[in-house]
Amino acid sequence: MNAPTGLDFASISDRVQTEVQRAIQRSIKGVEYFSTSGPTLGSTPKDVLLSRGTLQLYHYRPLADEIYRVPILIVMATTNRGYILDMVPGQSFIEFLLKRGYDVYMMDWTAPKPEEKSLRMEDYVLDFIPDCVRKVQEDSGVEDVTIIGYCFGGVLSLLYGSIFQDGPMKNLICFTTPIDFSEMKLFSNFSDRRYFDVDRLIDSTGNMPPELILQSFDMLRPASRAVGQIQLWDNIWNDEFVKSYRMFDRWANDILPLAGEYFRTTTKDLMWDNKLFNDTMTVGGRPAQLDKIKVPILHAVAEHDHIVPYDAAKHLIKKVGSTDKEEVMLKGGHVSLVAGPNAIRRLWPKLDSWLGGRSI
Amino acid sequence: MADKSNDPVAMWQNMIGEMEKGFNSFANQTMSSPEFSKVMNQVGGVAAGAQKQLGELMEKYLVSMNLPSRAQMVGMAERLQSIEGQLNDIKTMLTQMNKASGMATGGPSTQMPPRTKRPPSAEGEPK
Repeated sequence: MNAPTGLDFASISDRVQTEVQRAIQRSIKGVEYFSTSGPTLGSTPKDVLLSRGTLQLYHYRPLADEIYRVPILIVMATTNRGYILDMVPGQSFIEFLLKRGYDVYMMDWTAPKPEEKSLRMEDYVLDFIPDCVRKVQEDSGVEDVTIIGYCFGGVLSLLYGSIFQDGPMKNLICFTTPIDFSEMKLFSNFSDRRYFDVDRLIDSTGNMPPELILQSFDMLRPASRAVGQIQLWDNIWNDEFVKSYRMFDRWANDILPLAGEYFRTTTKDLMWDNKLFNDTMTVGGRPAQLDKIKVPILHAVAEHDHIVPYDAAKHLIKKVGSTDKEEVMLKGGHVSLVAGPNAIRRLWPKLDSWLGGRSI
Repeated sequence: MADKSNDPVAMWQNMIGEMEKGFNSFANQTMSSPEFSKVMNQVGGVAAGAQKQLGELMEKYLVSMNLPSRAQMVGMAERLQSIEGQLNDIKTMLTQMNKASGMATGGPSTQMPPRTKRPPSAEGEPK
């Protein structure tokens, strides 16, 4: 019944009842939240093919009776753990690929130890990736390899692809990969060469501390962490919300340190001199220009990416030398592009339809 | 269902969302200035220096307490990692030997499915 004020008292009564029930549930579930751990992440069965300090190469066990000829090698971003792509069954990109008949390998990273502070960009691009590609070739018995790079893993894959132009990379897929670092406005300002003494920082800390990296990510959206806590409390009665919150919160806080020399080069060559965009990038003395990449390439970007804004990523497809190239912009943010319900509906099927025909 | 404009919970959630957007936008504007970068990096530089000094001090303290220092723990971790690495090499070698001899172990060396898959559209199946 509608009162003359326009308020629906029956609905308000229902709403109050619902809110009281939720308040009770919050108390119960709130205790549960603090007394239990979150869901187990990254549990798709896999074998470690290679372990070299900070680098781990996994091979996931197949989940299909028949697989595509060309295996996939995923290059994870060096700041983050690979389990973002393998959250829980039903919400795992890896599991999705395996069920769709792909043979999947992943280069994942652990925290570089203090003595690994001397790892340079060339160790990642000219040694780690080629070594893993060789292992994938040996293990699969297939010469061709598709490479998928997420965020900075995409940058490493681009550098690798532009140097090793004669293969064996058959296809390249980049997720939210920046190439014009001047368009990462806040990061550029944080690392302004007039005030940011990267040499002093790395000389005193060895590796780039993960706390500083986490802090700089948080500073992009300073209110979001507090609001996230409020939203958690608001929705703590909702098991699905809590499960999802815990998965993403754990991953977002699980930031890895970066090897000191590698971070130094990233800051100087990419953040300061924007060499990848300006076609002046070299790795270990070898030119790395994007127009040398000729393989089929797909670049997936997110409409609301606050970490890699579209302006920082949009020139990639224009600059590569491939004729078979496509950029796809999907709704979502930097993380929801690749994981979670948004990714399940949008990116994963898109990637499957693009890659299937190119994997035979 | 109640009209959202009259729903206090929806209003509260909307308000929180707007506050978040507003604050983030304001903070981003502030953080875009060179002055912010200058102050942030000055503070950061001091903190990094202090952290280094504290680390050195702790190292000396642990030695005096006859406790393992971080460097020693790292050294042990390194040795463990090297042992793990060798175990992995042995495991890989065994896997390859199993593959070569065609043995089924039920483990990682389980036979791979044939690499004959075609995309669904090529087979005339619905995508």
